[in-house]
Amino acid sequence: MDFFAQQFFNALQLGSLYALIALGYTMVYGVLLLINFAHGDIFMVGAFLGVFGSITLDLPFVPTLILAMILTGLMGVGIERVAYKPLRQASRLSAVITALGVGLLLENGMLALTGADPRSYPDNIKNLNPPLLGDQIDILGASISAETIVIIVLALLLFGGLYFIVQRTKWGMAMRAISYDKFAVPLMGVSQDQIISMTFLLGTGLAAAGGILWGVAYPILNPYMGMRIGWKAFIAAVVGGIGDIRGAAVGGLMLGFIEIFVPAYGKDIGVSSTWRDPIAFGLLLIILVARPTGLFGVARRQKV
Amino acid sequence: MLLSVRDLRVSYGNIQAVHGVSFEVEEGEIVTLIGANGAGKSTILNTIARLHPADSGEVLYQGKNIASLEAHDVVKLGLALVPEGRRIFGNLTVYENLRLAGFQLDNSKLSERIKRVYGYFPRLEERRSQLGDTLSGGEQQMLAVGRALVTGGNLMLLDEPSMGLAPILVQQIFAILREINEAGTTILLVEQNAHMALKLANRGYVLETGNITLSGSSDELAHSEEVQKAYLGR
Ligand SMILES: Nc1ncnc2c1ncn2[C@@H]1O[C@H](COP(=O)(O)OP(=O)(O)O)[C@@H](O)[C@H]1O
Ligand SMILES: [Mg+2]
Repeated sequence: MDFFAQQFFNALQLGSLYALIALGYTMVYGVLLLINFAHGDIFMVGAFLGVFGSITLDLPFVPTLILAMILTGLMGVGIERVAYKPLRQASRLSAVITALGVGLLLENGMLALTGADPRSYPDNIKNLNPPLLGDQIDILGASISAETIVIIVLALLLFGGLYFIVQRTKWGMAMRAISYDKFAVPLMGVSQDQIISMTFLLGTGLAAAGGILWGVAYPILNPYMGMRIGWKAFIAAVVGGIGDIRGAAVGGLMLGFIEIFVPAYGKDIGVSSTWRDPIAFGLLLIILVARPTGLFGVARRQKV
Repeated sequence: MLLSVRDLRVSYGNIQAVHGVSFEVEEGEIVTLIGANGAGKSTILNTIARLHPADSGEVLYQGKNIASLEAHDVVKLGLALVPEGRRIFGNLTVYENLRLAGFQLDNSKLSERIKRVYGYFPRLEERRSQLGDTLSGGEQQMLAVGRALVTGGNLMLLDEPSMGLAPILVQQIFAILREINEAGTTILLVEQNAHMALKLANRGYVLETGNITLSGSSDELAHSEEVQKAYLGR
């Protein structure tokens, strides 16, 4: 039981992080039909802004998190304005290539700025000691670190906040409206540009939160981290049904569970842990074959 | 003059769809623009609403040239387009569609306007929590008009509101349009359904392949030979 519980919380932690990143892919796709391939690298920048906040500025955890989310969010808005907006009428392919280019720029820019040596957060951030929690807690016979609890709870809160915005506020209504029929949105007196900026602000802000929490959970950061993790989160978003934020959450969690449970129990039946990724992606592929639009996806109504 | 369109030319690529059209709408009027499928009616309305750029010509609204404004800014001046095909957000509820139309409004103004819409169309209030996709065509048209009222109905442009609706429903909706007009909203109504449109409008223009070929009071148009032959099937 304790082993299972331990793995369960590990999976929940990893899955929450994938989910936070996947949300940004899915939101941007929802409003622009653009797969923002720079999103993984934006996540990486968020993680490094955590280094900037916690080491350079010597800030504690919460201000570091907020600072990184705000700066990354603004960067996301800027990237959209400068790189994607001029291409809104251009072909899908040129937008995708531009996004890949932006990703490479961020990666190499960070490399030039910080060097290739891996970074990590200072102890006060790696070892969170939240009030009322201490640094370990026992659940179902497993001893779970405070960081894991904080990550899971924060991810849940952030998702809840986003869900509230999307479902209950006029901004969220506008985002959903754009994803349904962008022609009619300006007729409501709503500026598409404003809604798109808001979407990038939220999506990249959440990626930054994912980056900081990633650095808390797995304390080695390097400028290339965004590519691999970003791809995985993207696949999670697709499996969940790209364009639907519940799908991103479920897809991210599923990927986390598969990645943790395959190596944890696979060795009992002779599957080595190097099979983790092939099995994870194989399972996801099977889901996609069975449901091409993903778990929450519906076929998009084509508009003329 | 609330709206005057002067020598408007509009193209898609290098095909010109509107060849120098001029017309005017005075405050308080109901004016109709009738024409067959493909005549350029939607193109004209979409150009006025700034969804599509003009090649040349002027669109003056309240005496000001609105050519430099963006579509969402035109809406803020009280110029509302009810587009062809209604374009309801099917993934949003009836209330959310109206709420979104009030994006720029403060809460008290918003609820006042939504209340007004529910007053004209009690059906919408009954279905306030239903998704747009689940509405009938008539209800969707009511919602489309309702949204325009929420954004602010100084001048309402309607693009074939009768399309695909049973005559009885069209009569109901047109009766509401008359009420809305009497309450102070000027209406420019585009229709293929000349019969219905001329009954509602004070006067009208006939559009043929991008040119205005005829204009006059609704009575004159309804009795003119061309209109009778081409649109009224007599
Ligand atoms: N998006 C478009 N691209 C190219 N041509 C178009 C487009 N929309 C309309 N047209 C052409 O412009 C002309 C006028 O169309 P439209 O304004 O839709 O007419 P109406 O609303 O009177 O039926 C038609 O010949 C139509 O084929
Ligand atoms: Mg038309």
